[in-house]
Formats: sequence, structure tokens, C-alpha cells
Amino acid sequence: MPESLLRTERICRYYQRGPHTVKAVDSIDLEIRSGEFLSLVGSSGSGKSTLLNILAGLDQPTSGKLMIGKRHLDEMSRRDRAQYRAHRVGMIFQSFNLVPHLTAQGNIELALLFNDTPKNERKERAIEILSRLGLADRLDHLPADLSGGEQQRVAIARALVKKPDIIFADEPTGNLDQENSDDIAALLKEQHAAGLTVVMVTHDLNLAQKVSQRIVRLDYGHIAGEETL
Amino acid sequence: MTLRDLVETSLGNLWRMKLRSFLTLSGVAVAIAAFVSMLSFGVGMQENAAEQFDKLGLLSIIQVSPKESDSTATVPLNQAALAHIATLPGVELVYPYEALSTVVSFGDSTLSATAQSLSTNALEGKLFSDLAAGHSISSDTAKEVMISDQMIEQLGLDSATQALGKEIIVSVRVASLDSGIYAIFGSAPERIEERARDFNIDSLSNLDYWERVVREEFSFAVGRFIKGFLNDRKLISDTLTICGVVEHRRGRRLRTGDLIIPPATARKFTSSGFSGDPTQLFSVLQTGNIFSPTSDTNSITYPRATVRMAPDALYEPIKDSIEAAGFKVFSFAEQFDEIRRFFRYFNLALGMVGLIALLTASLGIVNTMVMSITERRKEIGVWMSLGADMWDIRRLFLIESGLIGLIGAFFGVVIGWSISRIASFIARSFMESEGVTPFELFSVPFWLVLVALSFGLIVALIAGYYPANRAARTDPVAALRNE
Repeated sequence: MPESLLRTERICRYYQRGPHTVKAVDSIDLEIRSGEFLSLVGSSGSGKSTLLNILAGLDQPTSGKLMIGKRHLDEMSRRDRAQYRAHRVGMIFQSFNLVPHLTAQGNIELALLFNDTPKNERKERAIEILSRLGLADRLDHLPADLSGGEQQRVAIARALVKKPDIIFADEPTGNLDQENSDDIAALLKEQHAAGLTVVMVTHDLNLAQKVSQRIVRLDYGHIAGEETL
Repeated sequence: MTLRDLVETSLGNLWRMKLRSFLTLSGVAVAIAAFVSMLSFGVGMQENAAEQFDKLGLLSIIQVSPKESDSTATVPLNQAALAHIATLPGVELVYPYEALSTVVSFGDSTLSATAQSLSTNALEGKLFSDLAAGHSISSDTAKEVMISDQMIEQLGLDSATQALGKEIIVSVRVASLDSGIYAIFGSAPERIEERARDFNIDSLSNLDYWERVVREEFSFAVGRFIKGFLNDRKLISDTLTICGVVEHRRGRRLRTGDLIIPPATARKFTSSGFSGDPTQLFSVLQTGNIFSPTSDTNSITYPRATVRMAPDALYEPIKDSIEAAGFKVFSFAEQFDEIRRFFRYFNLALGMVGLIALLTASLGIVNTMVMSITERRKEIGVWMSLGADMWDIRRLFLIESGLIGLIGAFFGVVIGWSISRIASFIARSFMESEGVTPFELFSVPFWLVLVALSFGLIVALIAGYYPANRAARTDPVAALRNE
């Protein structure tokens, strides 16, 4: 049985909206094992993106425990959480979140700025990963000059270039047409096949079933069901 | 993230927002230019004053004069006093201000002039080193004279160099005891005759009568003596060759005579009798030594003396010793400290005006940075998702604002320096047209450049602190959600 990479214990994330408390994530116990492809599915507002942000160290839980191996992520300093994101995590977003004034290569190199990669190595690795993902002729292109599918490929390249332990993808095909969605799904599956742990948030159950090993359904902040494929 | 990465990223961001960066930089540059050009004026004036003090060697000069005190007896500033001061540790030379009223004849011109006697040792000081022409008096016994530049025209000469080698006759009218006594006895027969006319045999036994007679006759005799002493004076002359021309100095402390004569010539004049110079006469009458003007050198007192300190000597102990000996001390070093203090406040005031301008420019930096952060909120979120921490974000924006300050300050220094050069050129041209020897009104020393750059940087960092902190507190989840 693969070792546990991430584990949550009764994790909660509440927001205060005026007099109301919104329970975005409410007492979730979840374990992510090394090398698995897990999809978090659910409708809008089910708490799947919030949970993903907590797992990625971008957001802090209101209560509960989050273990990375034997370390408590919820007890880490801001600096340590930043180091966790810089070295161990790759993130992919629905709206790509590329820096608009940087070229494709510049966006990839940006990811290596924070994990102490030497300057000359940054360039080499950026060119190498973009070439591997079929974007060798797009190195100097700004995001605005790329198609949606190409932008998401650049975003995936940015996540992969750090050689992370785990990829968190938040609706990675949400802004793409069917053809590009299939491409991106195939690309993620390929990375998983190469040994990478992937956690994907999607509202598209078909996509989840196509690429995942395990599907966790969320509803109103709770785990509503789990399915192993 | 290394500092180099941060600086490169910051420069890239500033370059991307060229117009905004240029306008903000311009604000800083104008403020720093105002700061530099204003302070360069104060610094220039201060350096000019310091240069004058140094040129004349004034910082190593102390002037000594008798204490003007009603309550205590005044200690005379005479040869004995000078000899005592000369023995003090750190004193290199002491020389008195010894001046004679003379008459100078050259060709058809005859004019009155004050002759100051100075030894060659005294003339070696920086005070007399800046000659308009010629050289200093070669020895204490040389038949040479130095004249002040203002005498040139009075002697009917065209230039300082033309005066060199010319012979002038310097004369002093001296009075001797003989002429005073002669004046008393010369009028004696007439006086006896006058007394005889009023003589009354009955008065012989009247004591009041005798007292009145003695008083009247004594007053008469003293009056006749002084009249004879001052009016019937001999003319003592010496022919001297003009060897140098010095710049005439006015002012109480640095006044030089119209002529500078060697001590031997001065001795020749003073040993022949009393010159009638009010200072000398007063001194003679005060000491009561009217019969031998030269036998007792201590009978001559001086209004002031100049003490030249050794180069490494400390001022305070010498001053204390001279004051303890009963004299008043004036130090140019103390005066220079006062001047320096004045310029410190003056420069502070000028600097404050520049800093107010810089403060205004800093508001521009705050505005630029806040706008930049608002626009780049999503980018900050991306940075954080990639592993940047608060410290990285804070540093990035602090470096951006710091670079605005530093680059702006650099251009400000260049502009300020240019302004000071242009102003200096105009000022010098004006001085030349007015016939004044031009001097540097402005100065931009290296420390001023460093201070200006530091102020630009520090003010920009302070201005950038709030925006940078605001950026560092960005919630990455909210920023990434932001469309």
C-alpha cells in the first residue's frame, strides 16, 4: 500500500459573512496517498476548491489537522508553508493565472525563483519542460498570444517544472473547449502515470471518471461519498 | 529568492510602467536637485570661509591683548610678557603689533603711512605669504621695505611689479627730552618778568599765595614741556628698497601697516626719541620712563601681539596659560567654530526646504506603489501560489520604491550639480564684471552626493513601507479568485 502523503483530520474552514457563518469545509477526514490520482467533485459551493487551497497550503483551516507526512501543515509558519508550496506543490488553475507581461518561458522561470534554482538552470529547465509539452515554438510568446489550451499547457509546465511531489489542479479544463480539455486530461494522466500524485477539483464527473483512481464527492462542505475506480 | 532576482524583477516592473515610473522618478529628482543645489550653496560658502582661514594660517594664530579691566590692575603687554608667552609649550613664535607713524617720500610724492615692524620669522607665516609681487624682507637688518598694494597708486606707480626695486625715504619725527626742557627754560625770562610785575611784598608771608604760585608755575612748566616735546621734533630718515607688495588688510584683527619694515629700521627710529605715536606716548607717560626710551625695553607696551602655534599644538592649554598670565585672548579657531556652527544651522535650514520637497515627492511614490499593488494583486497571488512568502513580496515592493528613490536621487544629484555649476558660472562672471576676485559660491562634495542618495533611498523606503506591507498581507486565495 502506497504511503500517505497528505492527511486531514476533521478539517474545517469557516467564513464569516456578516452575521452568518459559512461552513465551506466542515469536518473532513481525507487521506491522499503517494502516486494516486484523486478527484474532488461537487457542485459550485460544495467546498472542493477551498479544500484544495487548504491542501496546497494557500489557505489555513479554521480547525482540524492537516498532516504532510509527519508534519502538521496547520502549525507551520507562513515561511514554512511558502517553502512547502515552493518545493513540493504544483498548482494549476481554471483561469491559468499566468503573469500577463511575462513570456511563456518567463512564467515557467518564475516558478523556479522561489525554490533556490540557479539562474542558468532555470532557463534550461523552462525550455526543456516547454519543449516536452510541445510548446518549443512558444517560448517567447506572451500569454495573450497563446490559445486557451496552450496557456493551460504553460500553466501545467509551470507546475511540473519544480518537480513537485503533488499537483493540485483546480478545474483545469473549466475554461477550455472539448478538444483542449481532452488534451489537458491526457496530459495530467500521463504525468500521473509517470508517478506524480495528482489532486484535481472538477464539477465534471465524466472527466473525473476518465482520469482518476479515486473520486471524492463533496456536498456543502462534507464528504458525500467516495468511489475507487 | 535572491536579492539579485528581486532587483532584476523590480527593474523590469519599473521599466514596464515607463511613464508612471518616469513621473514618480521626476518628482524625486526635482526634490533632490533642490536639496543638492541649495545645500551646495551653504557648503560652498562654508568651504570658502574655511579656505580663507587656512590660506592665512589663522587657525594656528592667537591674538593677545591687555585685559581691559577696571577692578584689577592691567598687566602690561611688554617684552617680558612676550618672552613669557614664547616659553609656553606649543608656541612657535610671538610677535607684537609695533606700528610707527611715518612719512614716505618717493619722487614728488610725500604721504603719511603707518609702518609695521615685523621680523623675518613673523613674515614666514601664511598671513604674509600671499604677495602681490616680489619677495619678503630678506633679513631683520636689510634696508628693505614691503608696501601694501593700496600704496602703489598713492606713490604714483602703475603696478605692483613696477614698485619693486624702487627706493623710498621713510621718515619719522621724533621728540627728545631736550626739546621739552628747552621749551620750559626758553620761556623762563619772559615768565620771571611777568611774575615780577605782579609781585607784592605783603604776599611773601601768605602761604596761600605761595601755594597758588607753585601750582601755576608747575602747570605752566608741564604744558611748556609737552608742547616742546611734541612740536620741536627731529626728522629721522632711512632709505629703503621696495622688495615686496602685500595685500592690504583691513579689520581690527588682521590689519597690516601701509609699510612693513625690518626690526633694525624700527629700532633706529624708536631709539632716536619718541615718535609721538599716541600709543607710545601714552605708554611712556604711563611708565614714567621718559628719560631713556630704549634702555628699558619693558617701558614699551603693545596694543596686541600675535602668537603662532606649532602645527600639532593644542589651542586650549596655550589659551589658558596666556589668560592665567593676565591677558585677553582672541582665537581665530574659536571664531571659525562659531562660523562653522552658523553654517551648520544654515545648511540645516536649506536642507529642510529640500526635504519638504522630497516629502512631497514621497507622496507620489506612495501613490504609485499603491496603484501598482492594486493592479498587480492577482500577480501577487500567483507569486504566493508559486512559493513566495510575505517577506519576498514585501522586499519586492520595498526594492521597487527604493529603486525609484535611488534612481530619482541619482538624476537629482546630476541636475542639482548642473544647477550649481550654472549658478557658479553666472556668479563668477558677475564678480569679475564688478572687479571682485571671483571665488566659488557652490560646492558639491562627495559626502553631499552620498547624503542626497541616502535621503532619496531612505525617504522612498519609508514611503514604500505601507504599500509593501499591504502587498505582503494579500490573501492569495482572494487574489487568485479576483477576475
